[in-house]
Amino acid sequence: MTKERGYRFRRALLSALVGGIIIAIPWISSQYFVMMSVRVMFFGMLTMSLTFLAGELGAVSLMQASFFGISGYTVALLESRYGFPFPIPPLAGLVIAVLAAGLFGLLVVRVRGIYFLMLTLVLGQLVWALACQWSSITKGDTGITNIYAPTVFGISTEKSKTAFYFFQLIFFCGAMSFLAALKRSPFGLMLRGVRDSESRMAMLGFRVHLLRYAAFVFASLVAALGGVFFTYFTGLINPNTVSLPSNVEALLAGILGGINSLLGAVVGTAILKTLDVVLSGITERYMLIMGVLFMLVILFARQGIVGTLMKYWNNRLFPSRSREPERRPGGFSKKPDVVRNP
Amino acid sequence: MARKRIIQLMVAFFVVLWAFGPAHGVSEIRIGVIGPTTGWATMFGQNNLDGVKLALSEKDYKFKGTPIKIFTEDTKADVEVMRTKLDSLKNRDKVHMIIGPCLGHEGMAAVDWAARNPEVPVLVGYSAPEDMTMRKATYSLVRPGWTGAQVIFDFGKFCAKDLKYKKIIIVGQDYAYPWDQAAGFIRGFLENGGEKVERIWSPVEAVDFSSIMAKLAGMAKEYDAVLCNCGGAQVVAFFKQWQQFGLDKLYPQILGQANVPLTPMLAEMGDTLLGVYSSLHYYDGDPSPANVKFRESYHKAFGYYPSVISVQGYDCVNVAFKAMEAIDGKVDDPKAFIAAVRNVKMTADESPRGPFYFDKFGNPVQNIYIKKVVKQDGRLMNIAVKTYKDVSQFGPYADMPEKYMAAPETTRDYPPGDKASYFKEIEKYFGKDYVEKLEKNKGWPD
Repeated sequence: MTKERGYRFRRALLSALVGGIIIAIPWISSQYFVMMSVRVMFFGMLTMSLTFLAGELGAVSLMQASFFGISGYTVALLESRYGFPFPIPPLAGLVIAVLAAGLFGLLVVRVRGIYFLMLTLVLGQLVWALACQWSSITKGDTGITNIYAPTVFGISTEKSKTAFYFFQLIFFCGAMSFLAALKRSPFGLMLRGVRDSESRMAMLGFRVHLLRYAAFVFASLVAALGGVFFTYFTGLINPNTVSLPSNVEALLAGILGGINSLLGAVVGTAILKTLDVVLSGITERYMLIMGVLFMLVILFARQGIVGTLMKYWNNRLFPSRSREPERRPGGFSKKPDVVRNP
Repeated sequence: MARKRIIQLMVAFFVVLWAFGPAHGVSEIRIGVIGPTTGWATMFGQNNLDGVKLALSEKDYKFKGTPIKIFTEDTKADVEVMRTKLDSLKNRDKVHMIIGPCLGHEGMAAVDWAARNPEVPVLVGYSAPEDMTMRKATYSLVRPGWTGAQVIFDFGKFCAKDLKYKKIIIVGQDYAYPWDQAAGFIRGFLENGGEKVERIWSPVEAVDFSSIMAKLAGMAKEYDAVLCNCGGAQVVAFFKQWQQFGLDKLYPQILGQANVPLTPMLAEMGDTLLGVYSSLHYYDGDPSPANVKFRESYHKAFGYYPSVISVQGYDCVNVAFKAMEAIDGKVDDPKAFIAAVRNVKMTADESPRGPFYFDKFGNPVQNIYIKKVVKQDGRLMNIAVKTYKDVSQFGPYADMPEKYMAAPETTRDYPPGDKASYFKEIEKYFGKDYVEKLEKNKGWPD
């Protein structure tokens, strides 16, 4: 198949090019751009966590920012109040966030569709209320400050944004490959099975609840990782991080980029965060422009920006491939599901 | 050869241009203004910005011929966004100073940012947490504003000594700023003869106070007055329901925290606010020429009367100008500029709020006014019924700031609200002498 090989070659070339650019960013661009890239990476992890659940499981969660925040708060507390040395706070943060996800997961795996959305909304708000009210620990609305990024292998990631960039890049790529591997694995296939027809999967003998539970915990782990970097980079955390607007922003970034691919989550986050800063420098009414952009995306590019571009890209390379039925997340599917109602 | 000559000429031309350009080191003074200009807190950011704009337009956007440019950024009331915007102002726009932010949690994040970026002077807008200029104070951050407790210490004293109340209920939104207000009030009230303060906290967004109103009605026999410790839309809802439940007949007086009778609210709520007492470092009915001029030109420029938030933005610019005059406009030397800012002494003619100067932590020592809402020329206005001069952020504890800062941080129920346990606390942190002195003087000296 020469065509297939050509495709592979082009893809390899493209990835090498993109990889090269990503590594070269600190040298070919400004400090400012590096800072923006760092932000896109940690918020990207939050968005990925959300789109993974939405895309693979068809469950839109409005509490992923809670896990982002729980790990962030743990890092902040251990770092600024108890002064634990470097590897402990982030590790503890991840463990506690995963434990929290394990606890909340017990509740949320039982419901699906709109009820899943509502329950995660409630639990997310619960975490937010806790962050606001439990002021002896979280310092309430004021938040925790005085957090400094760690020194890794003798290089201070607090002083050098470039060092922080690479430090985070490693984990970011790790998180992305982790989710990508999950998607490719039999586990991912089973999740999509659950998404498309839960009853059939149950009938075939799969433990549906366990699958949903595991997916929820895995996704939360990625969000928690983002939270660690968020806290280190920003140097502070307050209830805003776990608030509803944070969750909605992640959802919007996912919709903008497209929820079916991990790349979509990152691109959506990048566009959202960049527009936020760039447009607000130009006009005070920038929210209006962003609103119009969202309307356009939802009206004309349902698959999100990346999803739509990918479709065109595939169409041009492999006209035959485009005849495959397009994947849709269960929650947003419009087609009647013949299998679900035999 | 000819090309070399041209290059030489061009170089010479630019050297001459550079040498005969503006006399001082800076060709343009860049000021960053930061605050929430979208979202629920728009009023705070926008009023502050309008104050800044008014002050600059009075100066024609020039300092001794050097043009001034402002860069505005929206924080969306989100500290992560704010940190990014602060970095943008510093790295992208290369501003010489930053005015803002305006909210409490933003302020705490800003002081943390300032500690890491000491080369950018920050003049804080409306943010009021005391730790910004106390436990977390950093040299490059100066606040020509206020702290939550600073303006309300003396209000507690006023309620205890002048209004002769013994027991008061505070109803407030459940977050850091109202906690601080309540704490400052409790200190002033209990140390000057008050007996008990009961705190009732409501959810931040709640506008239905019916259960609280019922509770207040039941408590009317025991307590003397209610202090509304809410802000924004909650105030409107609170006062409406206060009358609907007939509580205005049960209690002789309603009190407000510093932000309750803000100017925009006075216009909106009408006579329900008549007679409300509160305290602040500025009052809109101040007849001083500086305030009258400020109010009228503000109204002309933006079509509405200013509140204390705008005063803050306005004062920030004027403080910066006074500092620039002291160092001859060399804002490219941040150290000299900050030192000059900290030395600024504003007179009553220069600020609508009256005279003020900075303490060593960078917070103003200023007049605190006990205000009362009255009707003047058909419009509601705050007038001052009593003025406490030169109040520092430590209030009556100005001579022992270390002890004040060593006391535990304010929470929703610290300091305690009944006299016995409160005095136990102050004995623990301020010493026995202090308590004895209080008892001897029957409160704070006048």
